[in-house]
Amino acid sequence: MAASRTHALTFKIIAECKTTKARVGKINLPHYHVDTPVFMPVGTQGTLKGLVPEQLVDLDCKIMLGNTYHLGHRPGPELLEKAGGLHKFMNWDRCLLTDSGGFQMVSLLKLAEIKEEGVKFQSPHDGSEMMLTPEKSIEIQNSIGADIMMQLDDVVHSSTTGTRVEEAMHRTIRWVDRCLAANKHPEKQCLFPIVQGGLDPDLRKKCAEELIRRDVDGYAIGGLSGGEEKSHFWRMVTLSTDILPKDKPRYLMGVGFALDLVVCVALGCDMFDCVFPTRTARFGTALVPGGQINLKNKMFAQDFRPIDENCNCSTCRDYTRAYLHTIVTNEAVASSLVTVHNVAYQLNLMTSMQKSIVDNRFPEFIQNFFEEMCPEGDFPEWAVEALKSVNVRLTE
Amino acid sequence: MKFSVLCVRGHGARLGRLSSVGHQGSKMLDTPMCMLYTRGGSAPYLGLDMLRKMENIPPVAHIALSHLSDHYEAVQAFQEGVAKFTALKDHLVFTSLHDPAVEVHSGFNEKSGIAIWGKGGKTKIDVDLFIKMQEALLPDWYQALSDGDTSKDTSRKRAGKSVQRTLTFLDQIVERHSQSERLKNSALFGVIEGGYSEKDREHSAKETSARPVSGFIIEGFHNMGPKSEQFRISDVSAIIQKTLNCLPEDKPRLMHGVWPPDQVLEAVELGIDIFDSSYPYLVTERGAALTFSHQYSMNSVSDSEIGHTGFEMDLKDKRYFDDLTPISAHCTCYTCHKKFTRAYINHLLNTSEILAGVLLMIHNFHHYFQFFKSIHSALEENKFEELKEAIQQQKTSVISKDT
Ligand SMILES: [Zn+2]
Ligand SMILES: [Zn+2]
Repeated sequence: MAASRTHALTFKIIAECKTTKARVGKINLPHYHVDTPVFMPVGTQGTLKGLVPEQLVDLDCKIMLGNTYHLGHRPGPELLEKAGGLHKFMNWDRCLLTDSGGFQMVSLLKLAEIKEEGVKFQSPHDGSEMMLTPEKSIEIQNSIGADIMMQLDDVVHSSTTGTRVEEAMHRTIRWVDRCLAANKHPEKQCLFPIVQGGLDPDLRKKCAEELIRRDVDGYAIGGLSGGEEKSHFWRMVTLSTDILPKDKPRYLMGVGFALDLVVCVALGCDMFDCVFPTRTARFGTALVPGGQINLKNKMFAQDFRPIDENCNCSTCRDYTRAYLHTIVTNEAVASSLVTVHNVAYQLNLMTSMQKSIVDNRFPEFIQNFFEEMCPEGDFPEWAVEALKSVNVRLTE
Repeated sequence: MKFSVLCVRGHGARLGRLSSVGHQGSKMLDTPMCMLYTRGGSAPYLGLDMLRKMENIPPVAHIALSHLSDHYEAVQAFQEGVAKFTALKDHLVFTSLHDPAVEVHSGFNEKSGIAIWGKGGKTKIDVDLFIKMQEALLPDWYQALSDGDTSKDTSRKRAGKSVQRTLTFLDQIVERHSQSERLKNSALFGVIEGGYSEKDREHSAKETSARPVSGFIIEGFHNMGPKSEQFRISDVSAIIQKTLNCLPEDKPRLMHGVWPPDQVLEAVELGIDIFDSSYPYLVTERGAALTFSHQYSMNSVSDSEIGHTGFEMDLKDKRYFDDLTPISAHCTCYTCHKKFTRAYINHLLNTSEILAGVLLMIHNFHHYFQFFKSIHSALEENKFEELKEAIQQQKTSVISKDT
């Protein structure tokens, strides 16, 4: 049966870095294709911070995220189905990825309780008791219609230790099978299992080894954006990518700071998402090579340069820091303008990495990137170690 | 700036043409016209990339000093004027004192200057600061400093004072303007005050026209802001008529306010030429879309087709929750043309997403600007009465819905 399955996703590796574990690939999906490594902006409620989808197309964004917890609540699966899925509802004809809703449920709702059946929670609507089961998560994700869906996983905070982590890991494996069985549209919506196991190398390994026996099109690495120590973080990432099959994309969930992106691409991850670049725009924070600037700061009041002279986004083409300074946090339009730039920054970073990998100069790219990001030469130790593990020695 | 009246229709509606306007000198503007409402030099919700996706954007951007009072020093240092500073370099710029969509606090104006309110609070502007700001902003035309803090309840004495103060400001500004190298291509509009006092209005009009101004702004009937949507021009049409009789024919007249379509037409009929577009902004802010028909030659779009009555559609209403049609099937705006649906906008409003404002602002601007095109063509075709009738019919349905 597995052999005759039509795949919603195909992945082709275009180039591999000769030094690190980085690779460039192309994912073909029902709605569009995605070049990896890719950053996926998060459009939680079926919209991305005041941008119309055409603005994302103008930035050549090829895939974005929706959140199942929010969309299942509003506008709800019935309307999404009636509309023909989220793509049609929001007017986005490129790729979409949805999470399972579990993470938000556990982090947003105080009273969520995880049982074998699913996540029990109180409805934020009327306080009634509700249950998000693996089947229910997939049912909602099927109504949303994203190209890539996530399994419901048993999420534990990365600081949790002991038997709870092990329990969560085993449950995650049990739940992936229920999710796979519940998927009504495997031909147009693929489903990624999620490698869990906290910060315990043995559990991570076990989880990954168990999951690769499933017939799936790609894998996610979860539970690693909760503020855990970076020295643990990178080890869990690299351990996972060592086990996961080379010919399938690997999605590192919730990671999207520029420095983390560069390191984790070197460790062999292909897909990333993070709310930070878009969420922070509302407060006037713009991402620039070397870090970030807050346009609200008085030092920009008479700075007549664009946010980034080398950026090709419409905001940098048309607007100065000085003008943006007068409207950030005051006018809604400022939030859209900075969001356009921040998405452009993230996407440009990914394309530069792709190019450098293809041209076989990724190690030099990494060196230059770190020199720009940390001009004092104070490279974070964890990053130095992580890169050393893939044969890149940063020089100060 | 030159202005010529091409023809007068009915009781006094004017088809006019502004030429040799501002720094670019080459632009021609047809009146009655409306300006692009901005907040701090940006169309609400819409960056330049979005404005470029829209058609028929008015060539004149309207910027209120109140939005820039905290930042004029940056514009000054920039040297090239506010149009370029705000990335609206392809637009002409008119600067008013206040934002018509924001209520002006009463009781803060003085003989030496007037109060404007920005994000950072109150700024008192005297003639000195006023000229300094205008020299920094380099507008194509600008409103003179004025004391418009009068309304229905204002005493005769206070109304007279506002006229006197405003004339005193004007004399000082005229002098400073004539000496200013920076302002030599900026046109100055004098301001007619006098509250609800006919005598004071006439005095203000006569005295202001005796000074070298390029046009007139008539204000002081209300304190701006959302409440001014309730202002009825019919309550003051006699005073306005008398005022306009004292003004020369060959200069344009501008009135600020939140102008629903029926009120625009009444003002046009009295002889007002230039309007702002704060109305579509406030409609957007209440989560509604303009849907009134301004077809005057054929049978207007029937109510059954629009599916509701009145000038606008309240997209927060539950009935649109699963309505997968665009705001209007006939509308050619970006929002409707790209088939963003009522249900989607309803969802965005329910979830307080900024995109609701973006999509509604696009539609509402488009609708309002198209309405002004219809006013223009109705006057050209001598069918202004038909247009008035069409709008009036829809207004009646607003009232019947409310009662
Ligand atoms: Zn940019
Ligand atoms: Zn429209």
